[in-house]
Amino acid sequence: MKDIREDIAWAQINQDVLKSMESPRKLYWVILFFAFAAFCVGVGCEVYQYQTGMGVANKNNPHAWGLYISTFIFWIGMSHSGTLLSAILHLMHADWRKPIFRFAEALTTFSLMTAGLFVMVHLGRLWQFYYSVPYPDERGLWPNFQSPLLWDAMAIFTYLSSSILFLYIGMIPDLAICRDHLHEGWRKKLYTLLSLGWEGTDRQWRNFRVTYLTIACFLIPLAVSVHSIVAADFAMSQQPGWHVTSFPAYFVAGALYSGCSAIITLFIILRYVFKFEEYMTLPILKKTVRLTFAIAMIWTYLNAVEFASVWYSHDQASKDVLIQKVVGPFAPFWWGMIFCGSVVPLMLAFKRFQTNVPVLFVVSLLLNLGMWLERWMIVAPTFSHGYYPWTWDHDQWPGFVQWGMVFASFGWFTMLFMGFCKVFPSVSMYEVKEMVYHRKLHLKNSETAEQGAH
Amino acid sequence: MIDSGLDRRDFLKVLGWGGAAAALSGCGNTSIEDGKETVVSYVEAADYAIPGIGVYYNSTCAQCDAGCSINGRVREGRVLKLEGNPASAINRGKTCGLGQAGVQHHYNPDRVREPMLRKGDKFETITWDKAYALIAEKLNGAKGEEVAFLSGGVSGHLKVLLGNYLASIGCKNHYVYEALAPAVARAANKKAYGIEMPRFNINKAKVVLSFGADFLGSWVSPVHFSQQYAQFRKGVDGQRGVLIQVESKMTLTGANADRWVPVRPGTEGILALGIINELGMASGDIAAAVKGYDRIRVSKETGVPPGQIDKIAALLKLRSPSLVLAGSAAEGYAHGSQNAAAINLLNHVLGNVGKTIEASSSVTFTQMAPAKGNTAALKSLNDGLAAGKYKVLFSYAANPVFTAPGALKFKDNLAKADFKVSFAHYLDETALQADLVLPLDSALEDWNTQVPEYMAEGAQINIQQPLMEKLHANTRGMGDILLALVKQRRAEEYKSFDDYYAYLRAAMLQNKGALGGGGADDDTFWNDTLTKGIVKLAGSSGALSGKASVVGLTLPAPSAADAQYPLHLIPGVTASLRDGRHANQPWLQESPDPLTTIVWDSWVEIHPKKAAELGIKEGDILEVTSRSGSIKAQAYLFPGIHPDAISVPLGRGHDALGRYAKGYGANPFQILDAVFDQETGELAMHETRVKVSKTGQCVIVVKDEGSAGGKQMGRKIAVSMSTDEVDLSKEV
Amino acid sequence: MSVNNLLENWAQFRHFHPVDDKPHDPYKWAMSIDLDACTGCNACSVACYAENNLPVVGKEKYQHGHVMHWIRIERYWDESLGVAGGGDFPEQGAQFLPMMCQQCEAAPCETVCPAAATNHTADGLNSQIYNRCVGSRYCSANCPFKVRYFNWYDYPTTDNVWPAEMNQQLNPDVTVRSKGVMEKCTFCVQRLHAAKGTAKNEGRLVHDGDVQTACQQACPTSAITFGNLVDPESKVHKQWQSQQVELDKDAQVKDQKEGGSGLRGYRIFEELRPYPSVMYLERVRESAV
Ligand code: SF4
Ligand code: SF4
Ligand code: SF4
Ligand code: SF4
Ligand code: SF4
Repeated sequence: MKDIREDIAWAQINQDVLKSMESPRKLYWVILFFAFAAFCVGVGCEVYQYQTGMGVANKNNPHAWGLYISTFIFWIGMSHSGTLLSAILHLMHADWRKPIFRFAEALTTFSLMTAGLFVMVHLGRLWQFYYSVPYPDERGLWPNFQSPLLWDAMAIFTYLSSSILFLYIGMIPDLAICRDHLHEGWRKKLYTLLSLGWEGTDRQWRNFRVTYLTIACFLIPLAVSVHSIVAADFAMSQQPGWHVTSFPAYFVAGALYSGCSAIITLFIILRYVFKFEEYMTLPILKKTVRLTFAIAMIWTYLNAVEFASVWYSHDQASKDVLIQKVVGPFAPFWWGMIFCGSVVPLMLAFKRFQTNVPVLFVVSLLLNLGMWLERWMIVAPTFSHGYYPWTWDHDQWPGFVQWGMVFASFGWFTMLFMGFCKVFPSVSMYEVKEMVYHRKLHLKNSETAEQGAH
Repeated sequence: MIDSGLDRRDFLKVLGWGGAAAALSGCGNTSIEDGKETVVSYVEAADYAIPGIGVYYNSTCAQCDAGCSINGRVREGRVLKLEGNPASAINRGKTCGLGQAGVQHHYNPDRVREPMLRKGDKFETITWDKAYALIAEKLNGAKGEEVAFLSGGVSGHLKVLLGNYLASIGCKNHYVYEALAPAVARAANKKAYGIEMPRFNINKAKVVLSFGADFLGSWVSPVHFSQQYAQFRKGVDGQRGVLIQVESKMTLTGANADRWVPVRPGTEGILALGIINELGMASGDIAAAVKGYDRIRVSKETGVPPGQIDKIAALLKLRSPSLVLAGSAAEGYAHGSQNAAAINLLNHVLGNVGKTIEASSSVTFTQMAPAKGNTAALKSLNDGLAAGKYKVLFSYAANPVFTAPGALKFKDNLAKADFKVSFAHYLDETALQADLVLPLDSALEDWNTQVPEYMAEGAQINIQQPLMEKLHANTRGMGDILLALVKQRRAEEYKSFDDYYAYLRAAMLQNKGALGGGGADDDTFWNDTLTKGIVKLAGSSGALSGKASVVGLTLPAPSAADAQYPLHLIPGVTASLRDGRHANQPWLQESPDPLTTIVWDSWVEIHPKKAAELGIKEGDILEVTSRSGSIKAQAYLFPGIHPDAISVPLGRGHDALGRYAKGYGANPFQILDAVFDQETGELAMHETRVKVSKTGQCVIVVKDEGSAGGKQMGRKIAVSMSTDEVDLSKEV
Repeated sequence: MSVNNLLENWAQFRHFHPVDDKPHDPYKWAMSIDLDACTGCNACSVACYAENNLPVVGKEKYQHGHVMHWIRIERYWDESLGVAGGGDFPEQGAQFLPMMCQQCEAAPCETVCPAAATNHTADGLNSQIYNRCVGSRYCSANCPFKVRYFNWYDYPTTDNVWPAEMNQQLNPDVTVRSKGVMEKCTFCVQRLHAAKGTAKNEGRLVHDGDVQTACQQACPTSAITFGNLVDPESKVHKQWQSQQVELDKDAQVKDQKEGGSGLRGYRIFEELRPYPSVMYLERVRESAV
């Protein structure tokens, strides 16, 4: 099957994509409304927590982190999909990524912004957050460069700014199209400003290609480092269950995994909401699904590696944490993670499910859930069952403020993401055109070759 | 004084030195100065109050009767922290947690601040003048025998003044009540050793065998004994002391024992006789008396394995001197005196008397010697109240509405007294029943002298002095109140004393020769006394006179099973809450019980086996029912209790007292049966039988212990080694 | 403010650990706790509340794990007790252990703090700068002993924590912490400061016995010894020495020997190499009964 019809006229592409920015289906507004409502819940929770103290979230000693950090890792992980699709597959000349990388990149940017919020929400003294970043101050005070949390802050900030840059630069030719096709109004002004006078000259294209490629190359190690550093928050600590060498690789695999499953979810939603059936085609979905399956298996393997290395380390404390995950109070969630993360993706191995949109929608949601559970199962059990048995605590569960904030983060993300898709072209017009053109070329060549043979 | 027209003997009585004629011979210079010497607030800072610099005053801890000397740190006119005064032989610079919380008694937000008079269901504020006038009026309408005064243990000049006041109104009904006093042990000691409170030299003993005496937690003088215990652990000649604790419910002391011996409740005396028999060291009538107590019978009756009895006897024989103590075994039962007598007999047989049990000193001034509280007093008062004998009842430093056994129906009987005056720090359960509530100064604002019941070394009089200015304008010291009241009747005799401070100073100066101040001028002596906070006296040493005797010693057979109420209720006495009078001090509420680590609530200790039998798990709300009532509390599965018994701690379950006490936990006093020791008439605290039933509710027990339930999970956290592996003699 | 400044400070910061080229001089505060003397009475814990302005959080917050005791008394039962071990009764009593911040020399809490709010002092304390703390709780996550306590609420303004009058007891030498900051045992640093100040004014060093921590001062059995580990005259030095426990080792002489060495000194989780400054002396059990 073909990834995309090769006979779509270029003008048609422009028209279809620009239409998505004008008149999406009604469902778009429904989603936006619920996203906003969910976000408001989070604002309420944060105001309450800010005023009263972190205690209202039902954290405690030893449960010092809870869902905020778990969900923070979840969103950081999510962000890796964009880089995978736009940068890695770009370098590998995987053509099929073209219609979907734009929204994947937006996913990266907005999930990073969501993750960043959790760092803030988590801080006991949010109003002093800048103490943990290196800024020049009159007393010559510096943050602690030994702390993985500081590396984290810096890595995320760099990743976020690079991602925004990457997203923006890759959009310039499309922004010029928008500028040229849209009626007068604020939008036109915006696109005029943002397209930086793009004319599509040869020189511009050449510069554009080089810049884009450079940032793509820069972004890949950054993406890997970001999640390795998040892993370092745990691996560099001394706590049982966290002090694991394979954590960086494991975290990166998990990140790609959750990113891919998020792409499937959003793929399905966007395809419907913005009537992108022509571009976000089932063959492309199928490729994404296969990629996801492969990553799921890598993740499963790395999971097994982690358990095995803990088991054979003969470190009793770490072993206890593992046993605790399997049979203790967290067992339902831990097994939920195994089920969602390692069993559910087996569905993806079956051809008939690889293009079945309803099934894939449910599966992708389950995979996401599994990935969220994974993060919680990394964070919480070590707190409840650490080195010091006197402080073991199996009775404390996250309170409604924590859950509210987790819930709201999905609203916040969806709001940003859906807003973006309405204001900016979520399918890359120029890349799809390239795709169609390449296919035509390919077709012509093969026809000629055939004729020559006869 | 010179022109007061009193004769010398009366004057001695007024000032409290009556009965000390010999000591007074040097007395001649007794002028009384006017002018106050009180702590000045920061606003009118004295020259010596330098902001930022702490000043330290010595005084006496009033949180319990042990009489530890304290040293208060005062800054900017506020007392901040209490430490032990190193000069006191009782506590040598140390304090217990309860003592630490003394500042929270002083700064307590729920203190009574104004005199209050009952108007129907409510109280209204009145002036002190009116309050005094009212008392005078009520007393005028009552004969001496229609007046009763209930107090906690009192000593020193306050006791003198109280006695004089009671004499002035012709009241002979002074009831000295302490809910948790070692009264049976006192009587038994008196019989066995000739002294109620001899000195126990735990530090000189190689083996301590304690029958439920929680000397590390709440028994008699815990800080003092804790220090002795530390020395005992270091050992005499490098041989570490061995502690064996026999009891049905593990106390803090039991938790520190080398061997904790769970015994069937009430059979401690039998075990003691069994050990005497096993020792084979007794002769004559003692040997004859214990002959029947062979190890098999004793084991059967007490539940202690024969091997255990052998080992204890062997160890006692091997290591001498030892020390045997009778604690809750004595206080607990209708045959408590018999138990205590059997236990004390062990000391005689082992030859400990005179070695680890020594004569103690006491102050020669009998008027000042402590009036020791007991529970028999409560019973007499209650009987009198029930009979409607009293028109006026005073109550001070006791909260019987909270602490009286439910079976006595004390609260109902109290209502029969026409006019009840309560001298109170808080509106506790008893004060709430009063007609007139008079607010007291805190112990850190008040003047006093105190004579401890248990003397550690020589004898001492403790000085209690204000550590700071009064917090509330309208509270009064108990001494000042008594002085004002006694002046109502004997104005002439007391007119030269403007206040209790003047009285106290005069009294001390009058006798300064005997108090070690001979030769010094008044001011020097007085300042010196206040600086030290203690007056050390040679004291008079009573000789040990008791004899080993089995006359009248009969131990009942172990109590039969009670089908309706199958379990013994052992009220738990905790080091920080005791009888509950300090339950409104939040540090104590939040300080975990050492054994269960539970905070802010009561619990029912039940053995895991028993719990399994009854289908009870931790946190189940249990209803504990006795013949006298029932209470509800959460279950805590506790291995340190005999399966035939349950234990509920005392001190919580207030429905008054203050914000930190009210509504937390349950009060087991309420369900105690009225069973008394046959010999002394003291309340037998462990004789109440109960049954437990599940209510179906379940809570999460609020405690410090985590989900690992007090196990180390092989993590080498609290480690121990056995005596054969360690060489203590080389340690620093 | 310059990068030089950063590098200089950094170099200093790194050197406060017990390395050969910069030993603790003249002070290294340390403790030893005799578990054979400790009775578990809790006096030390209450004394710490009194000295260090610790808030009483109340029953509900206690249940949620918000208690703020800088020193907690743990009570352990023998492993042989209960269904698994077959013992019905704790015949050897219980085992008590006072646990507070171990003032680790290589403190796992310090390295992870992003704001550098918890640091090592020149005299070997793990310090906590309340003003600098952003409340990330990473330090608590990484403390093996879990002795750090976070201000989950604003206790100074919480009902019935320090109501009128009760607040007058607060020690002016110690900050009252507000919400969102981490706190823990400081070895009563305010007392150490005062003692060092007095000694300095008198042109001498702090002598053994000049300063006691609040918990030590209260302890009825004198189970807690505190002092300057580098002062050969101090009791704590002598105890550490006689027990052959060395600060910067992750295993001690007694761990190498087979059987009983007669030494009781040990440190908890020494093998994790935090180099704790608190030495415990093992409880002794009588073998004759
Ligand atoms: S034992 Fe404790 S409460 Fe009693 S006087 Fe001594 S310090 Fe005070
Ligand atoms: S005990 Fe914990 S808080 Fe204290 S220094 Fe060590 S790691 Fe840090
Ligand atoms: S809670 Fe405070 S001290 Fe602890 S790591 Fe975070 S900023 Fe540092
Ligand atoms: S050393 Fe000071 S701060 Fe630390 S536990 Fe003891 S009293 Fe508290
Ligand atoms: S005060 Fe002393 S004996 Fe009591 S628990 Fe603390 S360290 Fe142990």
